[in-house]
Amino acid sequence: MIRDLGKYWKTSAMAATGYLGDSPLFVIDYLMRLLRVTVLLAIWRIILADKGPIDGLTLPAVLTYTLIAEVFGPQLSPRTNLEGAFWEGSIVGRMLQPLNLFAQFTAEAAGTWLFELCAFSLPLLLLAPLLGVQPLPASATAGGLFIISLLLGISVGLAIEFIFGALLVLLQLPLWSIAQIRTALTTLLSGALLPLALLPPAVGALFSWLPFASMASAPLQIYIGAGDALALITIQICWSLALWPLAHWLWKIGRERMVSYGG
Amino acid sequence: MADNLADTTIIESAAPARRTGMLWRILRLWRMYAALDLAFIAADLKLACIYVFSDAITSIALVTGMLLLAERFAGIGPWSQIQIIFMLGYATTVSGLLNTFFGYNVLMISRRIGRGQLDHTLIQPQPMLVSLLTEGFVPFSGSANLLCGIGLLIWAMAGLALPITTGWIVLLLINIFASVASVLAFSFLWGSLAFWAPRAAEEISSSATQLLDQLKSFPLDGLSPVLLGGLMTVVPVGMVAWSPCRALLGIDAAPYAGWITPFVALLLALFTILIFRKGMHNYERTGSQRYSNLGHRG
Repeated sequence: MIRDLGKYWKTSAMAATGYLGDSPLFVIDYLMRLLRVTVLLAIWRIILADKGPIDGLTLPAVLTYTLIAEVFGPQLSPRTNLEGAFWEGSIVGRMLQPLNLFAQFTAEAAGTWLFELCAFSLPLLLLAPLLGVQPLPASATAGGLFIISLLLGISVGLAIEFIFGALLVLLQLPLWSIAQIRTALTTLLSGALLPLALLPPAVGALFSWLPFASMASAPLQIYIGAGDALALITIQICWSLALWPLAHWLWKIGRERMVSYGG
Repeated sequence: MADNLADTTIIESAAPARRTGMLWRILRLWRMYAALDLAFIAADLKLACIYVFSDAITSIALVTGMLLLAERFAGIGPWSQIQIIFMLGYATTVSGLLNTFFGYNVLMISRRIGRGQLDHTLIQPQPMLVSLLTEGFVPFSGSANLLCGIGLLIWAMAGLALPITTGWIVLLLINIFASVASVLAFSFLWGSLAFWAPRAAEEISSSATQLLDQLKSFPLDGLSPVLLGGLMTVVPVGMVAWSPCRALLGIDAAPYAGWITPFVALLLALFTILIFRKGMHNYERTGSQRYSNLGHRG
């Protein structure tokens, strides 16, 4: 077990350091993300100016929500290199490795997250006072529950990632079109861009029951102290318990139907 | 002397003819690529439906958030609900035109440069401009966004008490053209980085256009002058929909408001041409690594 963890840690470390070698222009991506969050914060100030709390959400809480959504962006919408591996055909080599396939991709994603946490998330948190945002969680309890909820959100997100991957194989769907749909739907339904509480009540309530909301909306609500933390975490656990067996089953039946794209 | 004069006259009279010839060639190539796109749809209807469906879903998802916010707050800032719908329709139309005319990674030019696919364009016996204007034309498989955008625009225009005159429609078309040019120029400007860093900047155009896509639906009224200035020039988010719609809907009543987007688009395009040419000069020296034994995709 410890030896296995060592292998996954090595995969993570390689992914983290590969960032510098493969994509030294990542700084431009980070600047664009910084610009995005700056604009979003300014826009919320305009939209919510002179408005009292909306469903318990005050303007400072929405600003914190927006900032933390960007700080933990990759974790709130977790993606691995699964699509890239399909596209390049390197999935074949991955399947030959004596490591669990899901764990390989997860370890690799975690490696890039480690790098991003140091290179982007931490500096953004430190910049929060300059952006006029209070970056701390609503309370120490909220901070602790946020970590649990974030881990559960990552679990749900990764399960969705592997389910989509399996469906691509089983239904022989075009990779990038499905990825495009998924990105657009996740952005809308997860609450990472727009807090679900600010949508029309019926729509927000409907979205909050979907698995996408367990990825981002739940941990972010807990962080700012809005919503019932226990209920949110329970929903996340339920989605995690429902989606992982489905992901395993879909990969089991789809394994032999894998056709690599190659090239 | 007389011969020289005759030559000069021939050259001068040949210039407009060349331009007309190029225009005809572009039209002929559009017709050909439209036929190829139709053949692509006919060859695999399921795949084509998925492409169209995914574009439509993506387009709707991108604007739905702002529509729902406008619904919840009965408009946003100085924008009424129906004006927000107009802006979303405008933004979607711009994206739709880009998808329809600049598919196959012409819009995401950094991919073509980074992957060495620019060579495929350069070896063709025609100007690169003609190739880039025509190769990505996919009127059937790539027009889902455009149809959604036009639908939203018609819906909004029916609900708005706008004095729709010929002049207004011309201004609308000019602004849409300028918005398309702004996004294209921005993508090419960032994409030029791939001439110098083919591997690292291969996806830079998609990052740049993604940023515009994510922010284009938001009204930018009330931003600080510095931020707003940046969003109108350096990162032209405001050019995609906000600024032209303010002018077209009369929210910005200044007489020159309708010409801000075309003017900025022109400047941005000129600057982009300058940088892209510098990149091309560099490419002349370095070439692509794609087909070398040690190429990064080799």
